[in-house]
Amino acid sequence: MKKIIYIVAIFAFTLASCTTDFSDINTNPNAPVSVQPSLLLRQVIYDFGEQMSYEGFVAGDLLSQHRTALDFNLFDRHDLKSPQLGGNPWPIFFTNLRDNEIILKQSRETPAFAVYEGPSLILKAYMAAGLTDLFGDVPYFEAFNGVEGTVTPKYDLQEDIYQNENGILDNLDKGIAAINAYTGSIPLEGDILYSGDLDAWVRFANSLKIKYLIRISGKVNVAIQLQSIFDAGNYITTNSQNAIFDFTNSEPNSFRLAQLRIGDFNNFVLSETMEEILINLNDDRISTFFRPFANSNSGDFNGLINGINSSTTTISLSDYSLAGTAFREDTSTLDANFITAWETTFLLAEAAQKGLIIANPQTLYNNGVTQAFEYWNTNLPATYLAGNANFNAAGTSPLEQIITQKWIASIINGYEGWIEFRRTGFPEFKTVSASLNNGLIPVRMPYPAEAASLNAENYKVAETATNGNSLDVKVWWNE
Amino acid sequence: MLFTGIICSQTTISGVVTDKNSGEKLPYVSVSNQNESGTTTDENGFYTITATPVSDVLTFSYLGYKTTRITVGNKTTINISLEEEATNLNEVVVTALGLNRKTKELGYVVQELKAKELTEVKTANFLDNLSGKLAGVTISQGATGVGSSSKITIRGEASFSNNNPLFIVDGTPINNNTVFNFTNEAAAGFQEIDFGNGAMEVNPDDIESVTVLKGPSAAALYGTRASNGVIVIQTKDGTKKKGLGISINSSITIDTAFRLPEFQNEFGQGNSGNFEYVDGLGGGTNDNITYSWGPRLDAGNLIAQFDSPVTLPDGTIVRGGDTSLYSGLPITPTLFKSNPDNLKDFYQTGVTTINNVSINDSFDRGSYRLSFTDLDSESIIPGVNLERKTVALKLNFNPTEKTKITSSVSYVNSGSDNRPSNGYGSENANYSLVAWGPRSLNIDSLRDYWQPGLENVQQYSFNYTFFDNPFFILYENTNSFNRDRVFGNITVNHKFTDKLSVSLRSGMDYSSEKRRFKRNFSSNRFKNGAYAEHDVFYREVNTDFLVNYTNNFGDVSFDVSLGGNRLDQTASTKQLQTTNLAQPGIFSLNNAASPIEAFQFDSKKRINSLYGIAKFGYKDYLYLDITGRNDWSSALATPFSVDGTSFFYPSVSTSFILSNATELPEIISFAKLRASVAQVGNDTNPYQTSGAFVSQTTFNGQATFSNQDFIPNANLKPEITTSYEVGADLRFFKDRLNIDFTYYNATTKDQIISLPIAISSGYNQQVVNGGKVNTTGVEIILGGTPIRNENFRWNTTFNFATNKSIIKDLPQEDGRLTLAFSRIYNSANQTVFFQVEEGGQVGDMYGTGYTKNADGEFVLDDNGRYIANNELIKIGNYNPDFTLGWNNNFTYKNFNASILFDWRQGGEIVSRTRALGNVGGQLAETSFRPDAGIVAQGVNVNTGQPNTVAVSAESYYRQFYDRNHEENNVYDASYLKLRQFSIGYTLNFNPGFMGLKDESTMNLSLIGNNLFVITENPHFDPEQLAVQGNGFVSGVEDMSYATSRSLGFKVGFNF
Repeated sequence: MKKIIYIVAIFAFTLASCTTDFSDINTNPNAPVSVQPSLLLRQVIYDFGEQMSYEGFVAGDLLSQHRTALDFNLFDRHDLKSPQLGGNPWPIFFTNLRDNEIILKQSRETPAFAVYEGPSLILKAYMAAGLTDLFGDVPYFEAFNGVEGTVTPKYDLQEDIYQNENGILDNLDKGIAAINAYTGSIPLEGDILYSGDLDAWVRFANSLKIKYLIRISGKVNVAIQLQSIFDAGNYITTNSQNAIFDFTNSEPNSFRLAQLRIGDFNNFVLSETMEEILINLNDDRISTFFRPFANSNSGDFNGLINGINSSTTTISLSDYSLAGTAFREDTSTLDANFITAWETTFLLAEAAQKGLIIANPQTLYNNGVTQAFEYWNTNLPATYLAGNANFNAAGTSPLEQIITQKWIASIINGYEGWIEFRRTGFPEFKTVSASLNNGLIPVRMPYPAEAASLNAENYKVAETATNGNSLDVKVWWNE
Repeated sequence: MLFTGIICSQTTISGVVTDKNSGEKLPYVSVSNQNESGTTTDENGFYTITATPVSDVLTFSYLGYKTTRITVGNKTTINISLEEEATNLNEVVVTALGLNRKTKELGYVVQELKAKELTEVKTANFLDNLSGKLAGVTISQGATGVGSSSKITIRGEASFSNNNPLFIVDGTPINNNTVFNFTNEAAAGFQEIDFGNGAMEVNPDDIESVTVLKGPSAAALYGTRASNGVIVIQTKDGTKKKGLGISINSSITIDTAFRLPEFQNEFGQGNSGNFEYVDGLGGGTNDNITYSWGPRLDAGNLIAQFDSPVTLPDGTIVRGGDTSLYSGLPITPTLFKSNPDNLKDFYQTGVTTINNVSINDSFDRGSYRLSFTDLDSESIIPGVNLERKTVALKLNFNPTEKTKITSSVSYVNSGSDNRPSNGYGSENANYSLVAWGPRSLNIDSLRDYWQPGLENVQQYSFNYTFFDNPFFILYENTNSFNRDRVFGNITVNHKFTDKLSVSLRSGMDYSSEKRRFKRNFSSNRFKNGAYAEHDVFYREVNTDFLVNYTNNFGDVSFDVSLGGNRLDQTASTKQLQTTNLAQPGIFSLNNAASPIEAFQFDSKKRINSLYGIAKFGYKDYLYLDITGRNDWSSALATPFSVDGTSFFYPSVSTSFILSNATELPEIISFAKLRASVAQVGNDTNPYQTSGAFVSQTTFNGQATFSNQDFIPNANLKPEITTSYEVGADLRFFKDRLNIDFTYYNATTKDQIISLPIAISSGYNQQVVNGGKVNTTGVEIILGGTPIRNENFRWNTTFNFATNKSIIKDLPQEDGRLTLAFSRIYNSANQTVFFQVEEGGQVGDMYGTGYTKNADGEFVLDDNGRYIANNELIKIGNYNPDFTLGWNNNFTYKNFNASILFDWRQGGEIVSRTRALGNVGGQLAETSFRPDAGIVAQGVNVNTGQPNTVAVSAESYYRQFYDRNHEENNVYDASYLKLRQFSIGYTLNFNPGFMGLKDESTMNLSLIGNNLFVITENPHFDPEQLAVQGNGFVSGVEDMSYATSRSLGFKVGFNF
C-alpha cells in the first residue's frame, strides 16, 4: 500500500511541476526583446552609411564609370543580375528601413522618445528615395513591417512613393515639423551625424528636399517649392554642416576596402572615362582618388575602359591606377556621405540654371566646386575655375559643367553618380568594352531573384511593368 | 471447483528431460504447472513436481530450446525430450528505455550490431563504423580529414529542420551536435571549421551492442528526438565471465590519400598563353590570379616564376616570391615544367594507432569493467591530427538480492593541433591547391613558407592577391581544440516482489571544449594576423524513474511500465576575437590591436515527460505493445505564457509468430508478421517564440543593435510524425536463410520551419508550423549461410533500403520553400538552393544553368557563347534511389575473413571542385585546347541551326564551368565502394598457457578501410558534406580534402 502511495505521490508531484519555470527558461538571455531607440539609430545610420559606401566603391562607381573592375566583372559589363562583389543593395535598404520603422514607432508611442520622430522620418525619406531611385516601383507602404503587417507587401508606384502621404516629400515635411514642434529636453542620442543637434537635422531635411524636388522636376513643377526653400536659406551651406560620419583608420570602423583581401582591392582601377575628364580639367583630385600606375616613371595616371572581357583580355595591373591610399591604407579621411554642402549647392546651381529658382547659377557653381575640393581635402588651384572647369567653358554647357563637377565629387557615394547620369545625360559616358546589355547603359537596377520567388504574386505586377525586370526601362522621374 | 480440486487431489509427477538430437540430459530446465508452482531439473535432468491430475499442463522451457507443454493426463512419469530452437529466436535486444525484449515479441524492426562487427576495422569517427551494415542508415563523411563530423540519417530526411537521430548510451542520451565557430558569409574573416560530431567519441572497444530503432514505432518511448530514429548503445560490463578477465587490443593503420583530382599537365600558370611572374599581385603578366591558361609546360620555355631565383645586389639569392626583400630586380627565368604529382606530394602518409586495455571481474555481488583506450591519428593532411583518450568504467553491484546498482561512466579527452577550414576561401588549402593551384607549381618550393628574415611577419607564397601558401595555412594558421567529455549514469533497480520493480536513474552528458584560432601576419584574410578563442559548453541531465509490474493470467502475459523523465539541457558558446594583432607571433587577446569582438550565445531547454508502456502476450505467438507519452517542452513556451507546451503521442504495435501458432512446411523454421502505428512529437530550439535585438558592430566603441532578421511565432505547435510500419521476419532451412522485410509510411506535419520570406517585409525568415511530408520506404535484410561444414563457414548479409520523402503540403500558397542553401561567400548567384515544392521530394537541389531549347540543346549567341538563364531550375536531388550493403564473413578453422561492399545508387552532387578547377584550367577536362578554339555544341539562338562559331578554349571552359551556373557542375553521386576487409587468425590457448588460469585467445588480423570506389566523378570521394553557416548540407562538394584509404593490422589478446 505504502508503495502505491509513493508512486502516486511521485506522479502528482511531477504533473504539478510540469511547466514551472518554462517562461523563464525560454526567455532569450542573449538578446533583449526591446532596446533604446538610440542604439537603433546609431545602427541605422552607421550600417546604411557603411554599406552604401562599400556598394559605392565596388558597384556604384562601376556604373558611374569612376572605376573599372579587372576580373569578376559581370556587373561592370552591365549584367546587373549577376553581381559578384557587392552590387546587391536591395536588402541594405529594407533591413535599415525596418530598424528605422521601429524607432519611428517607439517615438510615437513613448513620450520620452518623442525626440526621435523627426530624425527617423528624415532617414526614412532618405533611404526610401535611394531605394526607389535605383529600382523604380518597389514595396514601400506595406513594406518593412513583417511582424505586425504583411510578409508579402505589394509594389508601390514611384510617383506615389515620392508624392503621397507618408511618402518621401511628405515625410521630410513631417520630420521638420516634428523637430520644430519638439519642446522636450531629452537629447537625441545615437546620432553619429550631428551628435544630437536638431537644427542640423532640419538643414539636412531641407537639403534632401531640394535634391528630391529636382530629381522629380522632369515630371512635376517644383519651382515654387524650391524657391521657398531657397529663400528660407535653412539648408546645408558649409562643409561643417554636412550629413556625414567619418571612417577610422583601424577596425572595426575603417572603410570596408581596408578590411577586404588585397586581391579584392587590386581588382579595381581608374576608369578611362574618369581619367579623361579629370585630365581634361587638370583636376588635382585625381591623386586623391587614385594613385599613379605602378609602371609610371613620372607619377602619371592611366585608366581602363569599363566592362572588358576578362577571359580574353590580358591586363597588366601595373599599367593602371589603383584607388588612392585614402581608400585602404588610411581611411580616416573618408566619410560616409548622406548629403553635403557641395551637393546642395550644385543642385541649387542647376535649379538656377533652369530658371526654377532666382539665383546666380555661376556663383553657386563656383561655390560648389570650392566646397567639393574642401570636402576631398584637396587644394583648389587658383587657375582651376579659369580653365576647362569654367562655368562657361567652350564646348560645354553650364548644366554639363554643374553635373560633371557633382559627379566627380560623388565617388563612393552609393550609386549617385549613375543616377544623375540617367537623369541628365552628364557627364558623357562611354559604351563599355564588352557589354552584356546590348551596348546600352542600364537605366535601372533589376529586382533581385529572391523577390521573384518569395513574393511572387506582387512581383509579377512589377515585372510586367518593367518589361520583364529589364535594365532598360526608365523609372518614373526619368521618363 | 478447481480450488477444491487443488486442495483435495494433487499428484506428483516426475521424469527426465533430454535433448532431442543428442539424448543428453538437460539440467536447469524450468518445469511449471498451471498454478505456476515450478521447479527445475537437476544435473541429471531429473525433476519432481506436484500437479492436478488429468487437466494440468506442464510447461518445460529452457533457453535455446522450444518451449513444450504436456497435458498431465493420467501419468505420473513424464519423460520429455526438448527440441533445439533455431538460435536467434530467443535473442534479446535492448529497446527503448533500456528494456531488454525478445526480438520475436517486437512489432517493429530492430537491427543490431554486436561488438565484433564494430571492432573488425575501427574508424576514428564511431559513425563510420556503421556504414553499410544497417539497412536504411546512411552515413556521409565530412570533408576535412580525421576528426571531421560524419552525418547519419535513418530512413531518409523527413524533417525540414533536424534529421539527427537520438543517441543513447547505457540508457542516457548523449548529444550528437556539431558546433561551428562564429563566421560571416563574406569573403573575409574566419571560415567554418568542423570540430567533430558528439557521437564520434563513442568508443567501439567499449561497446557490447548497438541497436538501431529506425522509426517512431520503435522509438516512441524516447520522446521528441526519436522521430528520426534512435541508436541504442550498450557498453560492455563485467558479467560475461566469472572471475578476472583482461583484454588488450592494438591496431595500426597506414593512411594514404584516397581519390585525388585528375589534373591537366600540359599548360601552366597564366591567361591567353601568357605568363610572367613579377610580384604575385598583378605586377607581371597575368600573375595576379593563378589560372592555368598560360604557356605550354615541358616545352623548354624559360619563364620567371615565384620560385625562380633573384640575385640581390649583395650576391645572396632569394626566390621570386620573396617580394619583401627586393624591388625592381629581374627574376631569372627557369624552366616551365609540369608537376603532375604536386597535389599527391602535398599529402603525407598518415598513421592511426588505436590501443585498448581493459580489465573486468565478476564476483559474488557484482562485477566491473575498466577500460582505457588511446587513439592517435596523424592525418594525411599535413599539420592535422586527432588524439583521443577514453576511460570507461562500468559497475554492477547488488547490495541485496532485490536491489541492483549499475553505474556507467566514460571520460573522453580529445584534441587536435589543427583542424582544417571548410569551404571555398583562402583559409582552405584546397583553394590554393585545387581550384587555383597552377599546374606549373612545384609543391616542394612551398615547404619553406617564410620569406627569409621575416619569420612570423611575411609568408612566402606563389601568389599574394588571393592565395596563402598551403603549408603556411596548415602549419601556422592553426585551429586547435581540446575537449573534455564525460557521460554516464547511475541506476538503481529494486525488486519489491517478483512482479513489481522500480528503477531510478540519473545520467549526464557533459562536454567542455576550448578552441583556439591563430592567424599570422600576412595571411590573405588577416594582413595583421588574428586570434580567436571559442569556448563551447554543453550539459544535458536526464533523470527518470520507471515502475514495472508483470503478471500472467492463464495464457496471457501482462507487463506494464510507467515512468517519467526530466531533461535539462544547457549549452553555451562564446567566441572572443581580434582581427588585428599588434606584435607578430603572439597569439593572445592581450596582443589585440583593434577592439576585441565578442559573440555569445547561451541556451537552455527543459522537457518534462510522463510515459507508459503496456505489453501483452498471448501464449507464445501473439504480442501487443501499447505506449503513450506526454511531453511538456519549454521551447514552446513564450516569456509570458506556458500554453501549448504539452503534447501527447501514442503508439501500438503487434507481433504474430505464425510458426508458433500453426504448423508450417518444414523449410520454414520461423515466420513472424509485425505491424505498428506510432506517433512522435517534436519540439524546436529555444527562443523561437519571441523576437529580440542583436548587437552589431560598434561605432567608435559605442553599441548598436538591430532587430533579429526572423519573425518569431508565439503560437508554435509541436511537429507530429505518424508512422505505419509492417513487416515480416522469415527464416528457412533451420535458420540458414533469413529474410526480414519492412515497409513503412510516415507522415510528418506541422513542421517547425524558418520560412524564408521576402526581405522587403523587413525580415528574412518567419518561424511557422506547416508543411506535410510523407516518407515511404522499404528495408530488406537478407542473410544466410550458403556454405556451412565442419571447417568452413560463409555468412553473408545484404542490407537493402529505399526511401522517398514527398512534400504533400507547404505552409505557403504556392511556389517553393527554401530549406537551406550552399553558397560561395555571400553571393546570391553562386548558390545551390535546397528547395521543396508540393509534389516534389526532399533533397531537391535548384540552381541556374545556361539556356537550352525544348530539345535540351544549348542555345548559343552569335558569338558562339552560352546564354545565361538566371531562372532557378532543378539540378538534381541528393538522396539515393536505394542503398545496398553487402557484408561477408568467412571462417575456416582458425582463420576468419570479412569483406564489406557498399552500393549507393542514385542521387546527384554539385561539385565546386569541378566548377572552380575547370574555370581555373587546372583539371583534366580542360586539357583539350586547340588553337582554333572550340565550337560549343548547340544551336544558334536566332537561326536555330547548329553553332559553328568557335571561341577560344580558355573562354569556352571558363564559361561552361562558371560557378554562377551550377547545372554544368553536377555529377551522379552513385557509387560502389569496397569499404572494409579483414583477414585474421585466432589462436586459442588452453588454461595453464603462460600461467593463466583460464583459456585465452590471441587474434591477428590484416585490416583495410575505404579501399576502392567506382563512381562517375574522377576527382573526389563521392561521400561528401559541405558546410554552410551553422550546419552541414548534403549534395554539394565544396573544396573537400581527400579522404583516406587505410591499411594495417591489429592484434588482440583476451585472457
